[in-house]
Amino acid sequence: MSRLFRLFISWLLVSSIVFSLTPTAWAFCGFYVAKADAKLYNKASQVVIARDGDRTVLTMANDFQGDVKDFALVVPVPTVIKKEQVKVAFPKIVERLDAFSAPRLVEYFDPDPCAPVYSINESAPRSASFMMRKSAPHGRRDLGVTVEARFNVGEYDIVILSAKESNGLETWLHLNGYKIPPGAKELLTPYIRSSMKFFVAKVNLKEFNTSGYQFLRPLQISYQSPKFILPIRLGMVNSSAAQDLIIYILSPKGQAEVTNYRTVKVPSGVNIPVFVKQEFGGFYKSMFQTAYTREDKKVAFLEYAWDMGSCDPCSAEPLNNDELQEAGVFWLNSPPTNQISPRLRYRPYPTSGVFITRLHVRYTRNKFPEDLMFQETSHREFFQGRYILQHPFTGQVSCDQGKEYVRSLSQRKEQEAQTLAQLTNWKIPDIRRKMQ
Amino acid sequence: MGIGTRDWTLHPEFIAVAIATCVATQLLLSWVSGKGLTNNIRSAVITALGLSLLLRTDDWTTMFIAAFAGIASKFLFQIDHKHCFNPANFGIISALSLTHNAWVSPGQWGEDWWYGLLFLGTGGLILKRIGRWDTTAAFLIAYSSMEAIRNLWLGWTWDVFLHRLMSGSLILFALFMITDPRSIPDSRKGRILWSVAIASLTFILRNYFFLPTAVFWALFILAPFTVFIDRIWSSSRFTWFKAGKLELTQLHAQISAPNSVTS
Repeated sequence: MSRLFRLFISWLLVSSIVFSLTPTAWAFCGFYVAKADAKLYNKASQVVIARDGDRTVLTMANDFQGDVKDFALVVPVPTVIKKEQVKVAFPKIVERLDAFSAPRLVEYFDPDPCAPVYSINESAPRSASFMMRKSAPHGRRDLGVTVEARFNVGEYDIVILSAKESNGLETWLHLNGYKIPPGAKELLTPYIRSSMKFFVAKVNLKEFNTSGYQFLRPLQISYQSPKFILPIRLGMVNSSAAQDLIIYILSPKGQAEVTNYRTVKVPSGVNIPVFVKQEFGGFYKSMFQTAYTREDKKVAFLEYAWDMGSCDPCSAEPLNNDELQEAGVFWLNSPPTNQISPRLRYRPYPTSGVFITRLHVRYTRNKFPEDLMFQETSHREFFQGRYILQHPFTGQVSCDQGKEYVRSLSQRKEQEAQTLAQLTNWKIPDIRRKMQ
Repeated sequence: MGIGTRDWTLHPEFIAVAIATCVATQLLLSWVSGKGLTNNIRSAVITALGLSLLLRTDDWTTMFIAAFAGIASKFLFQIDHKHCFNPANFGIISALSLTHNAWVSPGQWGEDWWYGLLFLGTGGLILKRIGRWDTTAAFLIAYSSMEAIRNLWLGWTWDVFLHRLMSGSLILFALFMITDPRSIPDSRKGRILWSVAIASLTFILRNYFFLPTAVFWALFILAPFTVFIDRIWSSSRFTWFKAGKLELTQLHAQISAPNSVTS
């Protein structure tokens, strides 16, 4: 027993030492230079989920690029959706969230080593995002299929369906001019049996032509349900290729996480060679792909987690209250108290009542068999994808420290090259060449 | 072991708080209840480690509350040398319901097979020592059967079923939390019935009430029934099950020598 006790005491001591070494204050985070946003990915889907309690507002960004008359969307939803629960959102709102939360590149400049000035070396990365889209047809008639609601919102014609079995639903969709891909029928069954409804939308060309918009606007639906899920299986029906999905979860509490897959932070806070400034997008894509492969392609990546009242450094201004409401936030009833402090240097940060979590999921049919499920937590730790460029001092140095500094640079550069190679899987000779 | 690679929000200082609180509470309450100071430190440390692995928080006071409540439950809710609640589970439920900054991350264990095997191996070692593998088996068989039937009915492919079962936290729970001899029924029959009940409630809470923390609530709600199950089956066990008799004798020996008990 006394041996156990001694062990325990030494363990306590060790952990208290570890604890006391943990930095507690944030230094300021460098100068923001670039971001890696959703535009990096060819076929990225983006969804915004604002959720408090059982109430959810789901915004689906629409990046459909074909002829709008071919556009159709089928989304399983937990409840019947009525007209007043659907709206079209301001097209820029998803872009704003993307820009605000994107992984970011920051840079610092070494001071003259011969001048006694302090410099703090840190930087922030920005995150990348993507969008989710599904296409499906629209129809009507009886076949065990009930049209729960039918209405028009903006440029969209919407029907809400419930079905008794997938054959009937498939037939109904066909009869109503929706071409559903082979293999979709089997996938509809589990949703029908889980009492889910189907939100089916297509474009009303007349409304679209008079709306004056060139692109389809995001659809936003709100509903009340304990289910905190995002159906991804239907989107994988006729595609075995990896699809990128960026999910922005807005919560009054704190970070959200995936409960049925691991949630892993993207690599962050590393010093990389300064030439990356010219190719930050390429860097982030390679780095993400490397991390994705390392995690066996079956995790969700956390790219950003922050209170929406601040950012440090900012890749875009924080959203104001109107914008937050446009993004689906419904719990901010009090008058705007948003304290925007784009360059807040020290904690405590202001609390805006909205915490954003940006998750990046690259999914394939074989690694993501189950729809995504989430939970919100009270975890309020901030995280951002942030990558640091440290520019060496280029002036004349004559003092001893200066010479020492110049000698230390080659080692530092080599370290940066190694880090970059490890993160991106790029070849080290290529990196060294670019660093010349 | 693996802790660094799992990206948990695991803080060494919170583990220290959990261990310090568990041990201090154990010592204090042993002393207050007149059981002497040398009572069962190992059990308290195991409870603390269980809390550290399963409970997430960003505030040390939450961990303190969980650890204190867990150990105190052993002293407060005790009938015939049996605890009404598993201490770590009681701690987790206390933190989830009494504080605003506790959560459990069911997804963070991932689904790697080697992890499953690692847990199985370690769990097997511990279980062999205390002979309670039957609760684990009954729980896992009952739970996976229900999930299988649901999967079949819904028409999902079988990889969905496997994915749902390959949850590290489920295996962790089955191996470590419902095998504690001080808070589960004595008779094998009772244990199997009790495990199946927990599996059923977990299944219902997870699939119909969408609770990510379903297993912990199921155990919390059903743990006190151990006492009733023991009343019904403990005597019959002696005559009907020879193996069971041996186990009970061992258990009594452990209870009379508390330092060797793992709960």
